[in-house]
Amino acid sequence: MTAGLSEFGFLALSAALLAVGLFGVLTRRNFVLLLIAIEIAMNAAILNFVYFAGFAPTAASGLDGQATAVVLIGFAATEVAVGLAIVLALNRARGSINVAEATELKL
Amino acid sequence: MTDAAGLAATFAPEIVVLAAALLVFLLDVLGVRRLEAVGGVAVAGSGLAFLLVLADLGFAPLAAIRTIGAGAINVAPAAGASPLYFVSSFGLVFQALFLAAAFFVGLASLSRDPHEPGAPIFYGLLSLATLGMLLVALASDLIFLLLAIEITSLATYLLVGYTRRGLRPLEAAMKFYIIGAVSSTLSFFGASLLFGAYGTTDLFRLAAVAGSVGYPVLALLGYGFLVAGLAFKTTLVPFHAWAVDVYDGAPTDVSAFLAGGSKKVGVFAFFLVFLGPVLFVHPGGPGNPFSGAPFDLGPITQLLLGVLAVLTMTVGNVLALLQKEMKRLLAYSSISQAGYMLLGIAVGSPASLAGATFQVLTHVLSKGGAFLVVAGVAGLGVGPLVDDWRGLGSRRPLTSVAFALMLLSLAGVPLTIGFASKFVLFSAVVDARGYFVWLAVAGLLNSALSVFYYARILKVVFLQDPAPAGAVVGGSEPAELPAGGLGYGRAAAIAIATVAIVALGVYPQFALGPIQAAASHFYALGA
Amino acid sequence: MSLAEAAFVLLALVAVVTALAALLVRELVHTIMWVAIFFVDLALIYFLLNATFLGVLQLGVYAGAVTVLLLFGIMVTRKRIFSREAATGLGAGPVALALLAFLFVLTAVGELPQGESVPIAYAPAALSAALFSTYGPWVLLLGLTMLTSVSGAIYLVREGRE
Repeated sequence: MTAGLSEFGFLALSAALLAVGLFGVLTRRNFVLLLIAIEIAMNAAILNFVYFAGFAPTAASGLDGQATAVVLIGFAATEVAVGLAIVLALNRARGSINVAEATELKL
Repeated sequence: MTDAAGLAATFAPEIVVLAAALLVFLLDVLGVRRLEAVGGVAVAGSGLAFLLVLADLGFAPLAAIRTIGAGAINVAPAAGASPLYFVSSFGLVFQALFLAAAFFVGLASLSRDPHEPGAPIFYGLLSLATLGMLLVALASDLIFLLLAIEITSLATYLLVGYTRRGLRPLEAAMKFYIIGAVSSTLSFFGASLLFGAYGTTDLFRLAAVAGSVGYPVLALLGYGFLVAGLAFKTTLVPFHAWAVDVYDGAPTDVSAFLAGGSKKVGVFAFFLVFLGPVLFVHPGGPGNPFSGAPFDLGPITQLLLGVLAVLTMTVGNVLALLQKEMKRLLAYSSISQAGYMLLGIAVGSPASLAGATFQVLTHVLSKGGAFLVVAGVAGLGVGPLVDDWRGLGSRRPLTSVAFALMLLSLAGVPLTIGFASKFVLFSAVVDARGYFVWLAVAGLLNSALSVFYYARILKVVFLQDPAPAGAVVGGSEPAELPAGGLGYGRAAAIAIATVAIVALGVYPQFALGPIQAAASHFYALGA
Repeated sequence: MSLAEAAFVLLALVAVVTALAALLVRELVHTIMWVAIFFVDLALIYFLLNATFLGVLQLGVYAGAVTVLLLFGIMVTRKRIFSREAATGLGAGPVALALLAFLFVLTAVGELPQGESVPIAYAPAALSAALFSTYGPWVLLLGLTMLTSVSGAIYLVREGRE
């Protein structure tokens, strides 16, 4: 069969994406890069829902996963919007968006 | 009940709070930005919702406004049906606690500087954050729970930075946002692994099958990521480092809401998500469904949560001992309190759940109240250091006595609610099983440790002479507000909290009875 | 290995490489490019999984809206961030932690079925019907998160005084 896929490969991919996202969160200091790192990790979670739905034992529980993925994609966009609002407000107050320059509070 | 009227009855408190939030925004758009107007709407909304929740809990004097019949509460959703939410008396208790916190903070903030902008957004976001917390208490589905938590989280990120002026609040908001977004990502990742392992995100079905079918390694990983994600929200050590900076950098009334209110969302989520796994602990007992499973999910979860609880208490208390600034000290003490609350789920008996919930009530009244006092005292020109509070006992005797009672309650001194809640909690931990006595011992040692820093504050406030004239931080005294310099709203909030601390300390059964009943219903649902 | 499996391996490699590239390149504008490719690549993976509706949503929301939002954020704040401060050192600790997380999750790989199978295809109509009946509460909660973020975000970025 030419359309067959193996489930474990997707888990390996989502694990790798989560690791990349965590790595980015821990090392990047630019707010936009942090947002991107968080989104990469979030995509790993969404990917999990999508392929677990695809390989679900029953169609009913699979629909569960797809619906979750739809909602999470919407939520992720919302979250980015809030992050950017904070960035813009901070940028206006200070003129830079590097987290490392958050001198007033100890990081 | 699926008709509109039935839904409206089920969600009456949530609808009231949402309506308050929308009304605040509407007033803002119409140009009505007076503090009394927008604040009044939000405070009235949380107050009314509080009464509705009390009525649903079966509080007899309010029976007239009860919207959910007793028969509709504590009914687990039927298998196969997935309404995603359900009303439990345990959830209602938590709703009452959340609404009390929102009410106190809203009431106290009525005393803010009326010329300062931002009142509409403050009260609007406060109401939306409260709405998220109310929905958390209704969840019977993991995704529903996490999304409801996110409503609260998004609202609180924005609340921390709502003043838009000064770098500190905005930097605190940025840090809070990053940590919060990472933690929610971890939670969602955990939920996705659980979905993969069991093919459902329904908490009842997850509880029923935890560790027994599907893929145990995947399930263990899923719960592990959920622990990490929720631990950030609940400020458990080692996921606590952000909390102090955020509480310190946020406007103090917002800190009161974060510590006294929104953090408890994480505590409730821990109870809801981990009761299922934890309950599968029947060491050697008959019918242990995991005897054949490669992992015994129950003991692992309990051990993990127990270790987290002890770590959190100890690290929080030790770091609090070292603090010189009042807000940071209270923030660390707030971290250590989260450890006590986690004991309730680590032990996982009805009594320990009740004890932990009672401890949450203590914390709402005492820590929330203490932050409100700190905000008010800062308005009197007192600096951020503990030493700046020298001699406040003679300058502001009433405020100081209220603050002292809150600290004594946090330390667990008899005749305050803090003693009652710690007593209930620790005796439940000791009663549970011999194996858990070490948790109680750690808790008691930590309580003793915490007395040191509370006593230090009391010594500074009552026994040391006031700072010499001219040393007042900020130079000139700011304009004096009524009611002892605090303003009527703040004074009222502090007074109500203080009276409740003493009254419930003398007669704890008034609150403990409903809490215990709710906790045993909740336990029965999970079992 | 089936044709689909080969395609998946290729797409998965592209996903990991573009994700890493997005975080590691020095120019933030290039970062946006890599992120856009990453999002599109994931959409292709969803198509491969027969999740057509999610693929379209991924293209519209992530590759479209989120990418533009990020680009917008960079442009508005670019005065200071075109420089090298965008990228900092790697650090042994973070790399080790990320690897640890990777290996942790990887332990579950052995548990999943090892054979190849065709993913279930869901009719978008069934999904949308479910979203407005069974999963209605989720959509409602999503709406409330959007209400919160919109009301707060507008206020935060609004110019001027009350």
